[in-house]
Amino acid sequence: MKSTRGALEERIGQALADPSQRGNPLSEPLAELWEAHQDMARRIDRISRISDAYQTEAKRNEMNLAQRLNKQLRQLEKVARISDQYQKIMHDLNLALREASTHDPLTGLPNRRLILDRLREETERFRRYRHPFSIAMLDIDYFKQVNDCWGHEVGDQVLTEVARVLRAELRDQDLCGRWGGEEFLLLLPETPLSAAGVVMDRVRGAVERLHVRVHTDSLAVTVSIGLAEHRIDESYSDTINHADGALLAAKRLGRNRFEQASQKAD
Amino acid sequence: MTDFSVAGTQSSPHIHSDWAAGKLYMKGDSYPENSYELFKQVFEWIEEFLAEQNRPLSLQLDLLYLNTSSIKAMMDIFDMLEAAHGEGKSVSVDWFYDQRNERVAEQAEEFKEDCSFPFQIVSHG
Repeated sequence: MKSTRGALEERIGQALADPSQRGNPLSEPLAELWEAHQDMARRIDRISRISDAYQTEAKRNEMNLAQRLNKQLRQLEKVARISDQYQKIMHDLNLALREASTHDPLTGLPNRRLILDRLREETERFRRYRHPFSIAMLDIDYFKQVNDCWGHEVGDQVLTEVARVLRAELRDQDLCGRWGGEEFLLLLPETPLSAAGVVMDRVRGAVERLHVRVHTDSLAVTVSIGLAEHRIDESYSDTINHADGALLAAKRLGRNRFEQASQKAD
Repeated sequence: MTDFSVAGTQSSPHIHSDWAAGKLYMKGDSYPENSYELFKQVFEWIEEFLAEQNRPLSLQLDLLYLNTSSIKAMMDIFDMLEAAHGEGKSVSVDWFYDQRNERVAEQAEEFKEDCSFPFQIVSHG
């Protein structure tokens, strides 16, 4: 098609240029037609060039947008992933902080703050339902001598080992915390004095059997315990004071024993 | 270009620039109220340095916690560096972390992943 049109254009060009055809009445309208045709051809050419350029530009834009979108999506995924990990780190730090603020770092036992929380809960339960609970104060006998004779490192070891024994001997529902120094507080929920006494005797015996190894030596310690049951119309501080009084009595009566506070109101 | 310095707070990092040395320092936690405001001057400083200077540029980072918009801002900064690196400019990042906090290093690794310029993760104690 293109070649026949090319040949036709050539023939018309030749005919118009031929001097022998100059008198031909068709030559003038043909020349005009030829001019119009060439004009049209140039115009079509220009239009298709412009159209092609537009299409190329549109295509490039589309690819550009797709590329940018993909990049944004990748970035978004990455931001979300990194952000999730930072949140995980914060969450773990929170847990560690909570643990640190409620537990004694040496023995791993609940510290005073957690003990007081539990005492408040238990007192509240007692106020509402009259469920009995007992508190014991436990003190390692002659602990100062352990520190003085063996050094603080061995003293710490003794505290850790005693804590381990206490935890093992108590029941799941009981709470054993480090009250301070070599003094521990045991909270026994749902336990009246008589039942608590049985547990305390077991605890005292278990500590007595404990031998803390120091190199080739073996060190034995004992504990004194004062026990009190929470009574109507008293605060947990009162109960702690009664247990403290009983602990003092146990110390005076020779240590390595438990005494219980009198159940009569004083 | 004048250097700038932003004092660190509990929720935003200490940032300062050193045009003469070609260094930018960022240190601390980053969860500012308006991270766009905070990072705007960082973007501008880096952009200007890269446009005007042919000297090496190095970012010295000691960042701990980053909130989501700070993460996005850091990724935009690294994209700028990546583009500059593609044009043959010398850019680098040193990300410092405390050895006791390995997870910060893991996070830095995540950022490093798409960067082809020198990106070092360095423990400082």
